[in-house]
Amino acid sequence: MITPPLSTMIFLPLLAGLVVLVLPLGRESARAVGLAVAVLMAAFSINLFALFDPISGGFAFYESYPLVPALGIGYRLGVDGLSLLLLVAAGALFPVVYLLFSTKSRGYYGCLLIVQGTMIGAICAADLVLFYFFYELMLLPIFFMIGLYGGPNRVGATLKITIYTIAGSLLMLASCVYLGVVYQAQSGVWSFAVADLATLRLSGTVATIALLGFVLAFAVKIPLFPLHTWLPDAYTEAPPAATFVLSAIMAKIGAYGVLRFVLPIFPEPLGKISLLLAFLAVVGMAYCGIAALGQRDMKRLLAFCSASHMGIIGVGLFCLNVQAITGVLYQMVAHATSVGLLFLLAGLIEERTSSRDIESFGGLGGQAPLFSVFFMVALLGSVGLPGTASFIGEFLIIVGAVKFNLVIGILAGTSMIIAVTYMLWLFGRVFFGPRTKTATTMRDLTPIESLTVLPLIVLIVVMGLFPGPFIDKIEPAADTLSAQVSRSSAAAGAILAQRGDGDG
Amino acid sequence: MADLLALLPLIVTTAAAIVVMLVAGFSLFGREVMALLTTGLFMFCFFVQAATLVSMPFFPYQQTFGSMLAVSPFSGVAGLIILACGGFSALASQTYFGHNKGYVPEFYAMLLFAACGMLLLTMAAELITLFIALEIMSLAVYVLVGADRERLLRAEAVLKYLMLGAFSGGFFVMGAMFVYGGLGTTSFAGISRVLAESGLFTSPLATAGFLLILICFLFKIAAVPFHAWVVDVYDGAPLPVTGFMATAVKTAVFCALVNLLLTDGSLLSVWRDILWYLCVVTLFTGNLIALGQTNIKRMLAASGIVHSGYLLIAIISADVTGASRTVIGFYLAAYALATLGIFSALSTLSGNDEKRISFADFNGLAKVHPYSAAMITVFLLSMAGIPPTAGFMAKFYIITAAFSAGQLVLGVLGLISTILSIYYYVRLIAAMYFTTPEDDFAITGLALAPAGTAVLAVAVFGFSLYPLGW
Repeated sequence: MITPPLSTMIFLPLLAGLVVLVLPLGRESARAVGLAVAVLMAAFSINLFALFDPISGGFAFYESYPLVPALGIGYRLGVDGLSLLLLVAAGALFPVVYLLFSTKSRGYYGCLLIVQGTMIGAICAADLVLFYFFYELMLLPIFFMIGLYGGPNRVGATLKITIYTIAGSLLMLASCVYLGVVYQAQSGVWSFAVADLATLRLSGTVATIALLGFVLAFAVKIPLFPLHTWLPDAYTEAPPAATFVLSAIMAKIGAYGVLRFVLPIFPEPLGKISLLLAFLAVVGMAYCGIAALGQRDMKRLLAFCSASHMGIIGVGLFCLNVQAITGVLYQMVAHATSVGLLFLLAGLIEERTSSRDIESFGGLGGQAPLFSVFFMVALLGSVGLPGTASFIGEFLIIVGAVKFNLVIGILAGTSMIIAVTYMLWLFGRVFFGPRTKTATTMRDLTPIESLTVLPLIVLIVVMGLFPGPFIDKIEPAADTLSAQVSRSSAAAGAILAQRGDGDG
Repeated sequence: MADLLALLPLIVTTAAAIVVMLVAGFSLFGREVMALLTTGLFMFCFFVQAATLVSMPFFPYQQTFGSMLAVSPFSGVAGLIILACGGFSALASQTYFGHNKGYVPEFYAMLLFAACGMLLLTMAAELITLFIALEIMSLAVYVLVGADRERLLRAEAVLKYLMLGAFSGGFFVMGAMFVYGGLGTTSFAGISRVLAESGLFTSPLATAGFLLILICFLFKIAAVPFHAWVVDVYDGAPLPVTGFMATAVKTAVFCALVNLLLTDGSLLSVWRDILWYLCVVTLFTGNLIALGQTNIKRMLAASGIVHSGYLLIAIISADVTGASRTVIGFYLAAYALATLGIFSALSTLSGNDEKRISFADFNGLAKVHPYSAAMITVFLLSMAGIPPTAGFMAKFYIITAAFSAGQLVLGVLGLISTILSIYYYVRLIAAMYFTTPEDDFAITGLALAPAGTAVLAVAVFGFSLYPLGW
């Protein structure tokens, strides 16, 4: 194992990305650099997963150097049960992108490397300012990827995602600074370390406003209804790799932020609005699901599908119990693998047939059988068929939701049926039926491409059939977090219990 | 002797200005050499200033010449920023006059004289000295703005600036007179002492005087409602001069304002409420003006109003201890780096007679000059306050200072105004990267400005890591 592991995982892709951007490399060598780094990163993150000890608690692989000692801002990194699976996903999923899309330009691969480094930075950051630093920085490469390499309406989509995200994150900055100032007022010393700030228990009006600052920023990122309106444009116009990054990892960082900062620090004010937030998440699930039903554009359909499935993660976030939190942590990776893979495969269809219009397809199953099988597994994985990873995650979240509030639980469970409808309908229209002219231009996966996709397919199934090893790594952290939430907000807990009974 | 030691940077800068004046008078050197000479002299003065600053703990010369001047670490840092601004502006001027008319050798002497006035301004601890310094600076800047008499735009700008500037100077003198009449002293320390003893409103004369002085300062920093001149004057001035005005003048005036207000804080406590409202209006008016611009110079001028608003946040939430001065110094430095950078890049890219100056003129720049476009992007991101640039840390410190002082609403309003500002900064980035080039962006002649731009781009990142003492 390389030391320090986390810094390496952040700065290896970051520096490689800068090198690719600055040096006049050719397209192929840029891709080779990217692929090499991505494979190394995958190895590092799998190794990290194996070495991680869930029992010890607190941050593992901790690194800390002072940055601005006078304000207690430090370069602090660490991994715990909350961030482990997301970190592994962000580290290990990228080789597929480099292998499947070989015809992009140098800047494309450079941005992809940088976005990986910054996302891992945000996931590992154990300092609030450092987290904010990476959180805002990770938008930049995406900004350039969509703007430079996106579809015909890319500039509008770019401005939309940029303004939305920056507006959210600047309001979050206010909340971040507020936390630091409150910590200083309570303890007499400045610190922005997550471990220190997590000891804060805030309540009152100002705390509720500060909570909203965080929730808004993360709700834009996830995205939660009604702040999702940037998503269809951005996901559709973005090149496949950027869509993959946005849906598979970046959206999860929003959810991770809620778990990391909102739940432990604001249990009492969150208790007051958690029902509303969970309800909005359910509305988002149903709304985006119904919107997906009406789409003609395959990528746009998947965009709404992704948003709809992020809705269930949103429900889990605000149920505030251990089942839901474990489910969210599990579902983050499950969603990343299955929906991320779907976006990549849809990107391949678009690259090879120059079409995304669902109507123009039919009979793709006969034309590209191997591709169809993979697409089918990813699709079933995303709707949560038993035996796939999403089933475990979604099941846990629904259990948590029912415990939290029966109505929310029932609504969430019902909304998931919409997903099955539009996904199977999509599959039927595109892969079955008579072979259309557009479909005949589709080329099946080469053996190398199949081998590239295979690990993800295997992961979807393995995580669905044998969740034990994964759950073992995350459950202690989920336990601690939910205990923190319920213990420190006994009053809020009582209110919640009342509400739950009343609705039940 | 200690008095003179404290003044050493000022003396050296004045000597440099006179040398350049003489050299210009005898036409000893050509255009290129003059620029290099001035840059070199600015660098030398910078190092003298830095040496003075470093040796400050060892010499007890905080008050000099009977408390007319006060030297503090804050004034030292402001001096460093001013001299660095001068150096980079001279570099940019070298390139700028390569493809623009209006060069006179005295231009560089005026640059140095303006810096003299600014250094004096940072040290002034008394109203009359402050006025003298203000006028030395302003006169030199008037000349710089209007050096090219051939162009109508310049003439308009200098007329506007001169008339309004003279008015604000008049306000200041009147105000200083009233204050002296009311309080019987002109020194900052004396004013604070009297105010602490008897309160401001015991003397109507002094109250009126402070109001007039406040108006002069608000005019100089382009705060609303005294901001109307700034867009036209910045637009009319030659690019390097605009950069110099936006950075060095603002640094010097803010330093003087902080010295006046924070001597012991009693004056600030009187002004805080007025400044609070002016600050909020400044932030949003500046943004609204900037949103509508199609000319980059005018957009930067309007965004300068917003940055003044930001600095006002820091002043409003200031206490008498050192932290607020540090925050203001950091913000001024971060703002100066980015603004100088973008003006030096524009000095190179704008071409003959500043022909490329609107957003649309920079369409597709990234495809032709990728490095220039990347550097401009860095500067814009720093102005917008996106990490990992110095501008982000500067905003962060200001918001932290505001929240610490209990100014929660002001801090949040500041951040909301930043959200608005993202639009016009990102618009230029989008124009440079996401459109196809229509221009070949040909650049002629030996160019030093790109070197300066590159140094500044690195500095924007490097400076963000500078660990601030709180």
